[in-house]
Amino acid sequence: MAQAYFNCVNANGGINGHPIKYYIETEQTNASQIASEAKQLAQTDHVVGIIGNTSIIECTVDHSYWQSLGYYIIDSGIAPECYSTSNSAAVNMGPRYSSDGAVQYALAQHVSKVVFDQSNVPGTTYIAAGPAALAAAAHVPITQDTTNVPISDANSVALQLVDQAGKDGAVVLNFTPPDALVILQAAQKLNIENNVKLWACSTPCNTDFLAQSLGSKWNDKIFVNAELTPPDDTTTPTMNLYKAILSQYGKNVSGGIGSFSQMGFTEAELMVKALESVTGSYTVASVNAAIKGLTNVNTGMLCQAWSYGSYSMHIPNNEDYTVTADNGKMVLAPNGGCTQISTVDPQIAQYVSLAGRASLDSTSNAGGS
Amino acid sequence: MPPWSEFQQFIISGLALGGVYALSGVGLVVLYRATGVLYLAFGAVGAMGALLAWQVQQDGWPGWASWILCIVFGALVTLAYGVVFGPPLAGRDPLVRAVATLGLLLILVGAMDVIWTESGGAVRSISLPTDNGGFSLGNIQVTWTQVIALGLGVVLTVGTGAFLRYTKLGTAMRAMANDRVITATLGVPVRRVEAAAWFGCGVLAGLAGLLLADLVQLDATTLTFLVISSLAAALIGQLRSITVTFVAALVVGLVHDLLTPISALTNYRDMTPFVLAAIALLWVSRRRQVMTRSREEG
Amino acid sequence: MADPVTVTTSDSAAAAVAAGRRPLLRRPDKPVQLSVTTVLVLFVLFALPSLMNGYYTGYMTLAAIYSVVTLGLGLLVGRVGLYSLGQGAVVQIGAWTGARLLYGTAQPFPIVVIEAGLVTMLIGMAIGLPALRMRGLYLALITLMFAGAITVVLATVNFPNGGGGFTGYNGSAVHIPPIRRPSIAGTDPAYFRFAVVVAIIMFALVYAHLRLRPGRAWAAIRQSEPAALAAGINIWFYKLWAFALASFITGVAGAVLAAQEHYLYSINFTTQDSIILLAVVLMGGVYSLWGAVIAALLLELVPGWLQSLGLSYAWLTILFGVGVLQVITTAPAGIADQFPKDMKRLGRLLWRLARRPAAGAAGAAGAAGGETT
Repeated sequence: MAQAYFNCVNANGGINGHPIKYYIETEQTNASQIASEAKQLAQTDHVVGIIGNTSIIECTVDHSYWQSLGYYIIDSGIAPECYSTSNSAAVNMGPRYSSDGAVQYALAQHVSKVVFDQSNVPGTTYIAAGPAALAAAAHVPITQDTTNVPISDANSVALQLVDQAGKDGAVVLNFTPPDALVILQAAQKLNIENNVKLWACSTPCNTDFLAQSLGSKWNDKIFVNAELTPPDDTTTPTMNLYKAILSQYGKNVSGGIGSFSQMGFTEAELMVKALESVTGSYTVASVNAAIKGLTNVNTGMLCQAWSYGSYSMHIPNNEDYTVTADNGKMVLAPNGGCTQISTVDPQIAQYVSLAGRASLDSTSNAGGS
Repeated sequence: MPPWSEFQQFIISGLALGGVYALSGVGLVVLYRATGVLYLAFGAVGAMGALLAWQVQQDGWPGWASWILCIVFGALVTLAYGVVFGPPLAGRDPLVRAVATLGLLLILVGAMDVIWTESGGAVRSISLPTDNGGFSLGNIQVTWTQVIALGLGVVLTVGTGAFLRYTKLGTAMRAMANDRVITATLGVPVRRVEAAAWFGCGVLAGLAGLLLADLVQLDATTLTFLVISSLAAALIGQLRSITVTFVAALVVGLVHDLLTPISALTNYRDMTPFVLAAIALLWVSRRRQVMTRSREEG
Repeated sequence: MADPVTVTTSDSAAAAVAAGRRPLLRRPDKPVQLSVTTVLVLFVLFALPSLMNGYYTGYMTLAAIYSVVTLGLGLLVGRVGLYSLGQGAVVQIGAWTGARLLYGTAQPFPIVVIEAGLVTMLIGMAIGLPALRMRGLYLALITLMFAGAITVVLATVNFPNGGGGFTGYNGSAVHIPPIRRPSIAGTDPAYFRFAVVVAIIMFALVYAHLRLRPGRAWAAIRQSEPAALAAGINIWFYKLWAFALASFITGVAGAVLAAQEHYLYSINFTTQDSIILLAVVLMGGVYSLWGAVIAALLLELVPGWLQSLGLSYAWLTILFGVGVLQVITTAPAGIADQFPKDMKRLGRLLWRLARRPAAGAAGAAGAAGGETT
């Protein structure tokens, strides 16, 4: 999607007449290969900025390398290092803080127990620490599970989660869409989906595909944390621009309208804003200084203004929506408007102490052009 | 330890899982006895058929047409493989012939990755109308699809055993799997019998693929390598007895799900098929060498 | 480099006795091939690192590491006839052990590598002891079963990441330290050389085995087990030895891999890897040590090259599938055997075409009708 955005920019004159060339490297989640590709980008392609990374482990593998070269990354982070290092700032919240958002919504519905199940990919304890802190502060017992993916036996997973949650409990999932779907479908086929009070999911579930595959039985029953503004309800100029770019330049964007393409849009938007503020030549130093200088940008896609800055860690997106399924679409849930992720999570507390809580200032410029 | 009532529901879901393993496991043993080839690409063929069915459903085809497409695809690919690679490899060790099917597996896995790539958060799901009905057992629902899968496993177990033993075509298949050359000298039209065996294989693979895509997940990698867990059941039956394979598959499924509520073991329960197969094989071979001469096992 | 030794039933006893007295270091059978190999090795060690950019250095290091893995599998398949469908899991064990020791102790890097190899060898032997009572298809399938079990265990227990305890996994780490490399070989080009040196040592180890008694025992076993038994060879012992050797070198490769990756994740190792490993080993050629090198280049370098062209790895998977089918049906010796033959044929053809104007019609007839193999 970032590529689509840049294509649109280039079609309209580029940055002060300079077209943007965007190199994309895909990887197979192999640390050595990821490091090789980083070197390719830096040493062979001589890129001046890095944006748009979405790999599970890329931040872990590359952050020291980027730091040694002076790159400040804007990404859609997953690994812990995307949120705990000085040279990575994400437009999303990542699995831990998105799970926080889902658990917070469940706790706000006064459930008596929380069961948190996540896919067994790197970083599970780090991710689980957020929900654990939230549940402890609310004096609600929490059970932590991990499940190997891809899931080959969803029935036993669904049965176990429902058993653990009980009638007044909530099941919170942190999986990629295919695995989350298979658990929810298994619960429905077993006819046990109503045996818990609430089903919730972190942001990967926020796709219309999932809503369509689940069907109308799940209307107002599954609550998904949405890190970016729900596109279906919104008709602001930026959202219309997003939909227009997607339809005109984004034929190859998989997933269509949804969180992933929104993240790409937002990252590209921020990059263009940074590039536009560069005077003189575009070098690694000048571009990354501009990126670091991004302050209080209204992206039109987030609850808050987005800033980079010189902090030792970055969680600039820390306020989210909650959406629910509605006949094949994901729409805003009741009381699902912008909600701050609580500072009970120690990492959030640390970032807020450094940078404060940003808010949307309606007088600042809207991003994108 | 969790209460008995909790285990109860896992018995039912375990039997359903066992039905899934039985379908693939029995299919593998049936094919092995009929053609002498351990068709490791069984899952991959079914997976690609199921993905094709999904694709044409997205393009507007009616459900029944997509299922027929899936089965026909399975039959054609398997038949093509058997006709092209069956004869040249006929005299070779079963091991070599099984490794050759790995070649087909890789081709299919690569093709599926090219056409229906996994990245980008794509969600694919296939559902059959039999998902919506069923009956209650305890406090959970058993869908007709699960019943069909288990039932198909039973039919295969009983029916193929009888077919191979009592019918002329079945006897010809068993003879061919044992020794192709001698069978040919007896006047059996080996090419046609072989083609029939492979075609039957393929129909089964397509049908199993459709059911498994519904019961497990429409994911190329999962469905392709589900065959390894099913292989465990086939190994417990020593690639010979269809009944033992069927029962073993049910046991594997049961044990797997019954481990779910035991918190110390629950994360290791995916090991169940492999551990049980290893134990069974080592038990069987504890006193004697399991010698396999090249054309003997059938 | 070493010819497949054919041993007939009647000669085996006499040959074994005579062969036992041949010295290890004797005048090489193929001096030209040996000198070409030496030149290539020297080139790779000294000239290549400065010619490669950062991108390819990483992939070539992986190729050097996996050449040892393919060597082990080629040894099992080609020399002893044991098809192991679980070598990927053996790499995992070596990588896990290497990572745990590198994080947890301050031992010198080469010592850790050897220890990882020894631990892997012991585990391999523990699995081989009961498993080798089986043969053929059953043995292959049981290696698959063990590999599946090991993969699940490692997915649950996770690879070490600097934590404490036996597993060395700290799930809540916010900053994971990278696995250390040897102090003399920290940079990528230096580590490439290190990996190549380790590979050379492992190849030498296997070569020594092949020249001495184990090699001849394995050849006898591959030719005909009853005949080898009759000649007095303890089949089970030598098979176990092959298993142990293959496990040792694969464990060593795993430890070197751990430091190359810097970070290990269980999602890096899948069932498919073991199958693709077998595919490339078959394609490269199981009867020759060069086959292992070719297999490793197919496995690690070609994907890197395809990546730089923007092509998906899936196309390569399809190619490997076709390769397996081709090797099994037509060319059991793989590329390592086929390539020199094809080159020779090409050379003969070109030579004949070049001589055609002088030889006239006779030469043309020869070129047209004479190509048989």
